Amino acid sequence: MSDMKGIVTLESVRVVLGEYQALREVSIGFEEGKSTVIMGPSGCGKSTLLKTAAGLIPPDAGKVLYRGQEMFQLSDKALLAIRRENSFVFQDGALWENLSLAENLALPLRVHHPEMPAAERNRKVIRALERVGLEDSATDRPASLSGGERKIASFLRALITEPALVFLDEPTLSIDHVMMDKINQMIRDMKSRGCTVIAVTHDAELTSTLADRLVIMDAGAVLESGSFDEVKRTKNTHARSILAKVLGEISSYDTDLLQLLDGEGDSN
Amino acid sequence: MIAALGRWGNRKARDLGYALGFFFQVLKETLLLRRKRHVARHVLVLQILFTGVEAMNIIALISLAIGVVILVEGSTILPRFGQTNLMYSILIIVIMRELGPILTAFVIIARSGTAIATELGNMVVSHEIEAYISVGINPISYLVVPRVLGVTISVVALTVYFNFFGLFGSFIVAQLIKPVPFLEYFRALLTAIQVRDIVSTLVKSLIFGVIISTVATYQGFKVTSSVTEIPRAVIKAVGQGFVLCILADAMITLLYYV
Repeated sequence: MSDMKGIVTLESVRVVLGEYQALREVSIGFEEGKSTVIMGPSGCGKSTLLKTAAGLIPPDAGKVLYRGQEMFQLSDKALLAIRRENSFVFQDGALWENLSLAENLALPLRVHHPEMPAAERNRKVIRALERVGLEDSATDRPASLSGGERKIASFLRALITEPALVFLDEPTLSIDHVMMDKINQMIRDMKSRGCTVIAVTHDAELTSTLADRLVIMDAGAVLESGSFDEVKRTKNTHARSILAKVLGEISSYDTDLLQLLDGEGDSN
Repeated sequence: MIAALGRWGNRKARDLGYALGFFFQVLKETLLLRRKRHVARHVLVLQILFTGVEAMNIIALISLAIGVVILVEGSTILPRFGQTNLMYSILIIVIMRELGPILTAFVIIARSGTAIATELGNMVVSHEIEAYISVGINPISYLVVPRVLGVTISVVALTVYFNFFGLFGSFIVAQLIKPVPFLEYFRALLTAIQVRDIVSTLVKSLIFGVIISTVATYQGFKVTSSVTEIPRAVIKAVGQGFVLCILADAMITLLYYV
């Protein structure tokens, strides 16, 4: 397979969740410095693929390689070094409810940079919060934040350690346009500084601005994978019909899809 | 029928294997705690505060009430058989050896076992555990070990506290109902206490603390994706906690006194 070399590579990965086979023999590579968007209908295994690639779900069969090293066979120390390089933004934010917003941002710094003085750590946290106007909520618990603010905060937590690879699980789901603009800006910033981004999204606008590469999934398998331009013009009718459904478009005529993915259509 | 039995057996064997694996993982991470204490100390302090300090009032009340009941009943019944001196041995046996550790354990199961299983179950459902893993924090060392240590330290300390209130505090309350001479009470009590009574109460409370905290954290972590699993996990944490503590109590008593 042409795309088997990269920062993260999955080789014949199978994941079974309970009785349900979430990933079936998935082999795919994610290139360093590129942004990959994974699309597919709900329940097709996109988030499982993302979490498996991030080393959060161990595969039942197959290998997950990070820069050629098998992730689930590494020592704790080697794994920590990998965690330092990558971050994950969860669909629902997944902020730690028993910590304040500032503590949520400070904890990754405490883990990955234990040598950093507390004053510097606090400055870094406050600076990050100021960037998005959340500095007044620094001592608040996540429960007191709105859905959009929680999402923004989870982005800040993921980016505060300046990772080389960021996993995004539905980054713009269920948030208003103001928050969406802030998140899109943060994603653009990530991309401009050469960060590798792997995102699961249904958002056509985000896909059009972010994706260098596109992956289309269905029923736990990868249907299409390649450069954004190749995949959006795929001849695979199954993949095209999935793209059309995912993007909320009843038609699957070429022009509609291309307009949506080129950012000319209405993502809603 | 046989197939169903086989599936049940398989499931139970898998659960047992998973539980033992979890326990050994907790044990391993506990031994490595000194290396990671910078992140876990805060959680440990909070756990001791919640499990130990906040339970002091209810433990004091229960132990006082039980101490008074034994003292009053004993000083009423035993003289009829000419066995007044047995009262102190009975106080030691009932409070120190048996009721102190087991009642403290029951209170902690009801308060902290339920709270821990609920909290961890919620953290699983809201993906907070995955978030810890994603930033490189081992949830066993950061969330489980401090809770196991906090609950165990608290159960041991609260058992000693229970014994103190049961044996000495009850004396004060009993003076209002059926006065016993002060010097006579303490001299007889201290004479009746043996080293093995103290060892027994400490060993029991230590083992109960490990059982309560391991079962509660295990059940909390067994929640997979839905909030409806959390009440079931809590019920299992309580049920298994009670059963395992009573079994352990019986075994330790047998080992010590048979």
